[in-house]
Amino acid sequence: MYVELQNINKKFGNFQAADNVSFSIEKGKLIGLLGPSGSGKTTILRMIAGLETPDCGDIIINGQRVNNLPASRRGIGFVFQNYALFRYMTVFDNIAFGLEVQKKEKAYIKQRVTELIRLVGLDGLEKRRPHQLSGGQKQRVAFARALAPSPHLLLLDEPFAAIDAKIRKELRTWLRETINKVGITSIFVTHDQEEAVEVADEIIITNSGRIEQIGTPIDIYKNPATPFAAKFIGESIVVEDYGRFHGFETNEDYSKAILRPEFVRVTKTDQEIYPHASEHGTVEDIFFRGSVLELRLSVGGLKLISYRSLEDDALAVGEEVSVLIYRLYLYNDRQVHLVENSAFKANDAFTI
Amino acid sequence: MKQKIVKWVLILLGVSFLVIMLVLPLATVLVYALRQGWETFSEAIFDEYAVKALNLTLLASGITVIVNTTFGIFAAWAIAKFRFRGKQALTTLIDIPFSISPIIAGLVFILVFGRIGWAYPLLEAWNIKIVFAVPGIVLATIFVTFPFVSRELIPLMQAQGSEEEEAAALMGAKGFRIFRKVTLPHIKWGLLYGVILCTARSLGEFGAVSVVSGHLRGKTNTLPLHVEILFNEFKLTAAFAVSSILVLIAVIILILRNIVEYRVKREER
Amino acid sequence: MIPGFGLSMGITITMLSLIVLIPLLSVLLTLSNTTFKDFWQVITDGQTVATYKVSLSCAAVAATINVVFGILLAWILTRYKFPFRRVLDGLIELPFALPTAVAGISLTTLYSDKGWIGGLFGKIGIKISYTTTGIVIAMIFIGIPFVVRSIQPVLEKLDPQYEEAASALGASRSRIFFKVVFPEILPAALTGFGLAFARCIGEYGSVVFIAGNIPYQTQITPLIIMNKLEQFNYAAATSIALVMVIFAFLLLFGINLLQARINKIARG
Repeated sequence: MYVELQNINKKFGNFQAADNVSFSIEKGKLIGLLGPSGSGKTTILRMIAGLETPDCGDIIINGQRVNNLPASRRGIGFVFQNYALFRYMTVFDNIAFGLEVQKKEKAYIKQRVTELIRLVGLDGLEKRRPHQLSGGQKQRVAFARALAPSPHLLLLDEPFAAIDAKIRKELRTWLRETINKVGITSIFVTHDQEEAVEVADEIIITNSGRIEQIGTPIDIYKNPATPFAAKFIGESIVVEDYGRFHGFETNEDYSKAILRPEFVRVTKTDQEIYPHASEHGTVEDIFFRGSVLELRLSVGGLKLISYRSLEDDALAVGEEVSVLIYRLYLYNDRQVHLVENSAFKANDAFTI
Repeated sequence: MKQKIVKWVLILLGVSFLVIMLVLPLATVLVYALRQGWETFSEAIFDEYAVKALNLTLLASGITVIVNTTFGIFAAWAIAKFRFRGKQALTTLIDIPFSISPIIAGLVFILVFGRIGWAYPLLEAWNIKIVFAVPGIVLATIFVTFPFVSRELIPLMQAQGSEEEEAAALMGAKGFRIFRKVTLPHIKWGLLYGVILCTARSLGEFGAVSVVSGHLRGKTNTLPLHVEILFNEFKLTAAFAVSSILVLIAVIILILRNIVEYRVKREER
Repeated sequence: MIPGFGLSMGITITMLSLIVLIPLLSVLLTLSNTTFKDFWQVITDGQTVATYKVSLSCAAVAATINVVFGILLAWILTRYKFPFRRVLDGLIELPFALPTAVAGISLTTLYSDKGWIGGLFGKIGIKISYTTTGIVIAMIFIGIPFVVRSIQPVLEKLDPQYEEAASALGASRSRIFFKVVFPEILPAALTGFGLAFARCIGEYGSVVFIAGNIPYQTQITPLIIMNKLEQFNYAAATSIALVMVIFAFLLLFGINLLQARINKIARG
């Protein structure tokens, strides 16, 4: 294991930023620390970097306990949310900074900086100053600067938070590709689950200073370990009285359930094949989302969201439809339990 | 470990500098004032000329603060809430007294109202004395501290924008009401700060007043001038005794200033 | 539209003209009676030129020392905690609040042969009062608040992420200070230098006592103007005053230019 955190705790006044956090990261992986604001993810990242110190616990990087090692000696590259480019230096000097600290020769510095400028696609901008660059360009300089001294661990703090939505997607893909090209172990922090799912090899979900789950995006999506994880990834709706739906029985261990858009299939009433397994619903609103239609439905008083392909038959607002719920995640305070619609399972055959 | 040593060396250097440059002079005043005992001290500060000098100082400063605060408010209103050409030039002109030596400030009034001044014939006709009289002192003090309040208010009011005032104007409120109810609450601490600075400077003004006053004991001597006279007559204890009054006022001003700054910072948050 | 433009502009311009502009123009008015030759003679007179040298060199030295210690003080006041920090922070404005005459006599006494500090230095043969050293010390006194209060807000608002970035890149504390922090506070330091320098050149009360005013040696320009006035030589006094005023304007202009240029770089 390349990076290990063991029983890390950190308190800021009354605020518990890290509560007995332990996890480990393999070499070469790109890990996303995902969680809502204030969940402690940035604090954890900064502790790994050495910009904060844990109250107790161990941080081990490449087999070495680094708690007492200052940030400047951990060999880590850090990319800040607001870039933190040195305003009074040119792009070239910014990237060269870490190399000058390492007392590399001028010729080497020139070669390496040029190489990195090419890597991040900023050729020709060496002599510019930060205030002459766009947000995306600044972030790429920050990235190059962090990579220049060949760190063995790259940390990124919400790298795209300050960037325009349009450019964000492009940069995301670019980041993933570039990190894979360089092959460096990386951890990035984000509150955007779409970003985490798209970019990371593995995701660590944080909540109120605790780790909720660790796994690949698909893992977490398919098998959320905790209610929080289930609610956080994907769009979820809480269902209070799930027993009233066909095919589901109230389980006394689990008071509520989570429903996702993908668990629901909407069909025109006269086209429903499984009437015993499905519910009656009304279309309350339809939104165009670029490549799909978002349907807002009311099913027995419950408000649902579902997506519908543009290819399928059109529905109208106010239309009565058939809503089939495939499965639900039942949950209580501690656990999540997946149940399938028993009426649907039993009905493999068509009814005519 | 090395970091800690560096830190405390820096602190030591800084504190020593401040103690030598600021604390010692203060201590000097107090020690020398009381050197010859309490009686000599009170004799000096209750001396007839000292009291008259104090009164003159307070009078001049009082008038100055009122005049300059009024100016400061109007100037800041005009500059901060409206758009017009030449704003930068106007601001620079207002700041002129800030960068002129006080001696020149005094000189300038002699050139206007003194015997060679172009306004002198007029004054003679009306039998008004300005130079070597109280009005001259007041004018010189006003000149020297002219921009103090406006310098505080202009950036403050500019930073606060004019949206609230515009909203009030749209609802039909007149100028003074807008100022009183909308602007004043926002600027009150900055205004107080400027007034404090203006007061401090006018109480202590020496160079300009020295030029226009004529140094007539009991008539045109301000407290700082009185101190100068005592010092030049080698009456050290008396000079420092009178100075200690000014030091006391200065310390009170510093404390007030710190309180106001603390309040301003709290409001900014 | 906001009311009151007419009234406030009117009052502003009237008061500005009456109190500042018209009196200042009297300088030029008075000089209109002087020939350029006489003017030149006065301002290039040996003794006068000596005062320029004394004023300028002492002010430059004092302002430089103020910048060095100003940076130091701003740093320790914003970054460190130590006993009496608040008291000392509040004391910084003392040179503003204290009447210049009081400062003048107390500095003179302190550094005189029988004073606490003057006496100490006297033992090793160094005289402070009535020398240019004394002038420099008085000027340092006056300039302290200018530089410290220029730099302090910049340091307080400085985003810690620049230093953190440099630290993560392996830089030592001193490298961080000189390469990252210093450029950020340089504009403020230069402004403080300019303000202190301008103030020192024009200062009268605090300096005149400790200087001793020995012609050609410790005479500052404001004092020679005062001398000419006492001799009722208004033309000469005004001539030298004009030189000072022009110099002050140029200085102010230069500072504003510098600030504008540096603001362009910083606004990113």
